[in-house]
Amino acid sequence: MNHYLYDGTPEGLVSAIAAILDSGDDPEAAHLAVRQDTLFEEGLFLRTDSAAAEALFARLRERAPDAVQTLWYFTMAETSELETSLLRYIALAFEHGDRVNGYLTHGDVKAVVATARKAGRELHRMKGLLRFEQLRDGTWLARMEPDHNVIQPLARHFSRRLRAQEWFIYDARRHSAAHWDGHALSFGTLEQFSRPELSPEEQEVQQLWQTFFKTIAIPERKNPRLQQSNMPAKYWKYLTEKQGE
Amino acid sequence: MELQEKITILSGAARYDASCASSGSNREGSAGGTGNTSQGGICHSWADDGRCISLLKILLSNDCRYDCAYCVNRSSNPVPRASFTAREVVDLTMEFYRRNYIEGLFLSSAVNVSPDHTMEEMVRVAEMLRNEERFGGYIHLKIIPGSSPELVRRAGLAADRISVNIELPSSESLQRLAPQKKKEAILAPMKLIGAEAGVSLVERRKSRKAPRFAPAGQSTQMIIGASPETDLQILQLSQGLYRKMNLKRVYYSAFVPVNEDNRLPVLSAPPLLREHRLYQADWLLRFYGFSPEEILSDDAPNLDESFDPKTAWALRHPEFFPVEINRADYAALLRVPGIGVVSAKRIIAARRFAPVTHEGMKKIGVVMKRAKYFITCSGRPFDKIDQQPARLRQRLLLGEGSEPKQPRQLVLPGLG
Repeated sequence: MNHYLYDGTPEGLVSAIAAILDSGDDPEAAHLAVRQDTLFEEGLFLRTDSAAAEALFARLRERAPDAVQTLWYFTMAETSELETSLLRYIALAFEHGDRVNGYLTHGDVKAVVATARKAGRELHRMKGLLRFEQLRDGTWLARMEPDHNVIQPLARHFSRRLRAQEWFIYDARRHSAAHWDGHALSFGTLEQFSRPELSPEEQEVQQLWQTFFKTIAIPERKNPRLQQSNMPAKYWKYLTEKQGE
Repeated sequence: MELQEKITILSGAARYDASCASSGSNREGSAGGTGNTSQGGICHSWADDGRCISLLKILLSNDCRYDCAYCVNRSSNPVPRASFTAREVVDLTMEFYRRNYIEGLFLSSAVNVSPDHTMEEMVRVAEMLRNEERFGGYIHLKIIPGSSPELVRRAGLAADRISVNIELPSSESLQRLAPQKKKEAILAPMKLIGAEAGVSLVERRKSRKAPRFAPAGQSTQMIIGASPETDLQILQLSQGLYRKMNLKRVYYSAFVPVNEDNRLPVLSAPPLLREHRLYQADWLLRFYGFSPEEILSDDAPNLDESFDPKTAWALRHPEFFPVEINRADYAALLRVPGIGVVSAKRIIAARRFAPVTHEGMKKIGVVMKRAKYFITCSGRPFDKIDQQPARLRQRLLLGEGSEPKQPRQLVLPGLG
């Protein structure tokens, strides 16, 4: 077994995988992990090489576009356990093309695809659960704390949907933000954040929504358990209709 | 009247409508406009009854001249009445949409002056949203039976989905419980919608600029348990609607006794389990290649409460099993309890690489606690399975342990 190490960034991961595949080493006999800098750590450290990461992406896009999509979702999960599985998954993707995603009986493929799917599920969920509030200056703000780093595809979704208003999305867990100015998207980080004051009408519209939310449920069919399994409590913090519960 | 109060009355009156789907349409937003639609639909919240909230589901008015026995809004009920103006509904939809509370609007209404009068106002709401607000989100309009073909056409051009409620599973029941509504008035717009949608599809093949007519298709809903029809009759009706009227969805709504009326059965609770089983059977019709007569028969015309309809079918057909996972075709895989559309496709994709084992079945996501009694993997059955039908029933019912399992979660499946 050959041990390899990388710096823990998504880019470093992809470039390390590119280096191992180029070396001709057998992916089934290789092991890849984040460098911990402990005294007895063994393995070859692979320096991050942006050009090599880019080149791998480009080649994979040619050979297996669905696998690129899976890789992209996989990185949103920000997991640091499945690097070796990812290495083998990408080797298999080069071998089999997009059919690789059907090879679910392979443990490494299954692990990578399942991780990517979970990220995809949360992205889809956030498209529904994100709530925008109107600020005093007329712009809009949505806050969230998702498990996966979904802000980029999420912001692109809203740049098509709410394109006539200027808005911000803030990920309080990663201190990252997206901004749509009505024409273009930009991304950045915010170390300091406090919610600005809301517009005068905001409270009123929120109350209308809370009223709707309460009365739309059929009382004879009350089912809090089903509600919570569909909409886990971890998302309630920023849900307008769940304030005060 | 305050807006708050109107919402309370008019969403409370709309909540018995089952549909909340926002799927089936794929519209790009326009530059400067607000909103688009997403093919798979998006749920924005889940109400206290566990049902998904995707659309602002609301009535334009609950002031009704009809007196249907089962309906909370019937004219003889002493409930508070309210009506929105078209502008109020438009503004509410836009305010909610901008905050990402909803995918769009689902508008229905009681009928007061005349069907055309109500339908005209509803169509006006949709047209204001599309033309004045340049709204690209989802719109579902309910068609009022008896409204003119011209209004039905306008509705179809403005909305993503339109639906006519069939209300009850037979014309005798309609006659008895909703004597002012006529079967013909319900079926005529259904046929018209099917025809218009067909024409639009043909035109759009010639030119992409041809207008779309209800791109997310047509649906309907019926109340279950307020009238004596059997499940077999209901499924046959649904099959006819899917086949002949080209409907996208039939919704089943467990009868909630909101009125006292001697024409109605007395129920202690809405028949939720029956509704759940009907949805499962409906799925079998649409995606699994079953016919109503395979699921039920004249001797056993109602769905089994203890087993889902596919497991019930499997128990009646031991000669079909075991199914060999590495050889069976898609249609045969779909007949196995515990294997759904997704797992069947995954099995076929995975066995191109290597034969699928029992361990592999779990990785694929098959519900093995049901499937294991009905399959072999490369000739091998799972453990030592006793396939003697009577004991199989028992094991499926009780699970591996001895505790009987109560069906606990009643889900309205796939509101998508």
